[in-house]
Amino acid sequence: MINHITSKYYRLFKILRSYLISIGEVFDLFFETIQCTFSRPFYFSRLMEQINHIGYGSTSITVVMGVTTGLVMTLNFGYGLAKFGGTLYVPALVSLSLAREMAPLFTSLLVAGRVGSGIAAEIGAMNVTQQVDAIRALGTSPVRTLVVPRFWSLVISLPLLSSLSFGVGILGGMIVCKTEFDIIPGFYLYKVFSTVKFHDYMSGLVKSAVFAGIITILACYKGLKTRDGTKGVGLTTTWVVVTTSILILVTDFFISKIFLIIW
Amino acid sequence: MNEVILELKNIHKKFGKNKIHQGINLTLHRGESLGLLGGSGTGKSVLLRSIIGLERIDEGEIFFKNNRIDQLSENKLTPFRIKISYSFQSGALFDSISVFENIAYPLFEHTKFSYSQIKDQVAEMLKLIDLQGKEELMPSDLSGGMQKRVGMARAMILNPEIILYDEPTAGLDPANTLNVVELMLKLKKKGLASIFVTHDIPSAIMLCDRIVVLHEGKIIFNDTPIKFQKSEDPIVRKFVLSSRE
Repeated sequence: MINHITSKYYRLFKILRSYLISIGEVFDLFFETIQCTFSRPFYFSRLMEQINHIGYGSTSITVVMGVTTGLVMTLNFGYGLAKFGGTLYVPALVSLSLAREMAPLFTSLLVAGRVGSGIAAEIGAMNVTQQVDAIRALGTSPVRTLVVPRFWSLVISLPLLSSLSFGVGILGGMIVCKTEFDIIPGFYLYKVFSTVKFHDYMSGLVKSAVFAGIITILACYKGLKTRDGTKGVGLTTTWVVVTTSILILVTDFFISKIFLIIW
Repeated sequence: MNEVILELKNIHKKFGKNKIHQGINLTLHRGESLGLLGGSGTGKSVLLRSIIGLERIDEGEIFFKNNRIDQLSENKLTPFRIKISYSFQSGALFDSISVFENIAYPLFEHTKFSYSQIKDQVAEMLKLIDLQGKEELMPSDLSGGMQKRVGMARAMILNPEIILYDEPTAGLDPANTLNVVELMLKLKKKGLASIFVTHDIPSAIMLCDRIVVLHEGKIIFNDTPIKFQKSEDPIVRKFVLSSRE
């Protein structure tokens, strides 16, 4: 009986310990990435290549997602508020929600699926085919060559993608306001610009940058830890999409809270 | 005998409860070719990986020209990884870049050569491995034997002092095996020291100055190919006889 309880707690302790080690390793990778950024050599061409691949490559889905979000939100807010005669508040409500929450959050979740899984699969496949070992054996650092360009490319691209998503979302909202609720574009835009303050916009940008960091560091970490061939690559990508999505949602709450306290 | 450039002292390594190495002692002299034989799972590749720090040993010491290297961090290992290069079993070519970029990779990383100088060096290396005109091909366009030769060229491009071959002839047809062995002979003639992990005993006998046999985590034979062929040790005999079948 005592043995059974002891072994149960021991197993629990081992699981907890492995989780703590993983968390430590993730932070270690993050700090090494920052350290490699500020020491030579810095691969600028690889950064530009990744910005093109990760950032520019995600613009079309971001536009579709942004417009759709703007359309749907405006439609729902419009008919919901119409019951109380509050249709005129729709532009303010939609723009504020998009700037602070919806644009950065939805864009990040979308990018976590598209880019996070891509990074994890690419690095994971490189790892199981010994290409990461080859990078090390040739006297170079996998963090410097693989992680740093991807990290900074997404930290730069995701806030820009969020801004794009916000912009097209506002445009979508404007179309619905005009066609469904007879709110003229001039009034709509006036309400948007007078409602969304600089700090609302900044809140969205900071969130996007933090989410970008979460996506790339976790994707690269898991990619570099991938084992067991193609099966391992599949498990890695699934883990990255699920974990980054959850972490983005949880982190979003805390960043929102911090921004509400600050401003 | 030439100076000792690589020395392994009392190497111990285990994965979980599986003891891979139990006190390996080995020396490699300048210009010497050493064949490392042993059954599957005896830790031949792990030993090579340990030498360049891709695996960390649990106990023991590794010296390169009297510098202890087994405890060095990744950053401090860099100059030694330039001097001791590793040719992977699979070639481990970067599959998203061309043959030229693969071979030139170490030059871009560790030298300040101009692009034209790098191009010349790569062309020279491609001539050595008999793959002239294949610069623009992607690794997936090459056969297994060609990939291994490109991997060896990449490992060679910085003029290392030691090259570690991890089963370079595994899975190749006789013609490709011959191509790879001929390349290894060319490199040997250049005075390069090497450790050659293989199951291909005829190639090891042809290429190596000394043969080492690993069994159950220990070295059970360490002598010339001639003595290897005449050995009375039952385990060594099995290797010798298997090569005659």
